[in-house]
Amino acid sequence: MALRWTRDRRCGRRATRERWKRFCSRSGGTELDGARTRRLTWTFFPNSQMGNQRARSRGLRHGTRNLFSRGHREHGTLNTTTYLRTFRVGDYVDIKVNSAQQKGMPYLQYQGRTGQVWNVTPRAVGVEINKQIGGRIARKRIHVRIEHVQHSRCREDFIARREANDKAHHEAHLAGKKITTKREVTGQPRTGFTLENVKSELLTPIPYDILREGMKY
Amino acid sequence: MGKRRQKRKSQSVAKTTAYQSRYQVKFARRRLGKTDYQARQRLITQDKNKYNSPKYRFVVRFTNRDVVCQVVYATLSGDVTICAAYSHELPKYGMKAGLTNYAATYATGLLCARRLLTKYGLADAYEGKTEDLGEDYHVEQGDEEARPFKCFLDTGLVRTSTGARVFAALKGAVDGGLDIPHNEKRFAGYDLQDKSHDPDTLERYIKGGVVAEYAEEMQEEEPEKFEQHFAKYLAEDFDPTELEDAMEEVFEAIREDPTHEKKERVKPADAGRKFKLPKMTYEEKKANLKAKLEALRAAA
Repeated sequence: MALRWTRDRRCGRRATRERWKRFCSRSGGTELDGARTRRLTWTFFPNSQMGNQRARSRGLRHGTRNLFSRGHREHGTLNTTTYLRTFRVGDYVDIKVNSAQQKGMPYLQYQGRTGQVWNVTPRAVGVEINKQIGGRIARKRIHVRIEHVQHSRCREDFIARREANDKAHHEAHLAGKKITTKREVTGQPRTGFTLENVKSELLTPIPYDILREGMKY
Repeated sequence: MGKRRQKRKSQSVAKTTAYQSRYQVKFARRRLGKTDYQARQRLITQDKNKYNSPKYRFVVRFTNRDVVCQVVYATLSGDVTICAAYSHELPKYGMKAGLTNYAATYATGLLCARRLLTKYGLADAYEGKTEDLGEDYHVEQGDEEARPFKCFLDTGLVRTSTGARVFAALKGAVDGGLDIPHNEKRFAGYDLQDKSHDPDTLERYIKGGVVAEYAEEMQEEEPEKFEQHFAKYLAEDFDPTELEDAMEEVFEAIREDPTHEKKERVKPADAGRKFKLPKMTYEEKKANLKAKLEALRAAA
């Protein structure tokens, strides 16, 4: 995210939260009744205390000076392979903005996101992305020109493993054997390295038991 | 000895290390001046909702002594040529000289089109045009099930002015039966002021009538210049003044048998020759050095 240079220390998210806590404890506990809460809340958040809201721009491409800039010696005409790739509904794609093409750019928040293709148009694809809004995750459907989209390799590993497993299962089936292809936790780091004198414990959560826990309050 | 030629320094830019480290080269084919990437992008990009359907383009390129017509489509691993015709094949069909003139490029376009349609079995369905070649003609789907073969003209870096030879090749291909969207605006015989097309002029150009006229004139007025200018024609016994009739026969011959005879690949005499000299072994280098020292000692 872009750095914010001019920010009053009182106005940060954490600072505001601390202030609200102090304000609540001063005005008689965390439980405020309805009307009183509303009145007091508005005294807590008068405009001037939230800092100068005007100091930040909210334009479409705000804060993208570096994010959308082309790399060193990567300016100019796009290579033709960008236009030769095909996308099918259901493909996983990464969104990576290419500012050499100003049309069909996704909003800056979608940079680096991965989603599935849900629609294919002549020059763009529709991508379905999970976006966290507050406490929930919403499925957002956006249309993005193909210059800003790349095939994702997130499924590559899984699909290769699945293929290998299917093959192994089939061969085992023909041979009349049973095999497990589940991945195991070995406790060892990646290939080429080993840990010695390692004692590993597998932790799992225990099922909730109300009798054991008892009533807390 | 001679004066050492002074290396010309760049007038506009000082090539410091900063320049070298920041300079971004253009694409290789752009550096060679062979590909117009803007045009290429637009010719190649297929609608994404047409997925893997290839987008064919009718490529016309000119060299100093040859005309190349190809039907090409682009893939991730490179362009694929599905059909090609060269004007140096025209002697086989009866055109012995003048292989880069308007008539020759028309014939090459025609040859490419007929060759392609024969290859895909569309030759009978889409015959194109054999008469009134100057008239504006667009291929239409007849009662046949197969739609006409559609491709788009790729001019390359040619200046697309009215009467350019590129459009002769285009006309040849269209008259041969390919569906190439075009406008008569750039054909020879189009009057830019009146905005009207003269089919007779175009037909004259296609059949080489202009060349024939010029040849006749020259023959009458300056016979020595004629001998010199049309030397290749005369050497092949190909009368330039009779070019129009000759071209009609050439077009007929092309339509009769457009298939390409594959020449057998023959390995060259020095096939397998290694151009990279193997490095000397350590022993060889030592022996070499020894011999050199002996020679020096002996000379001294």
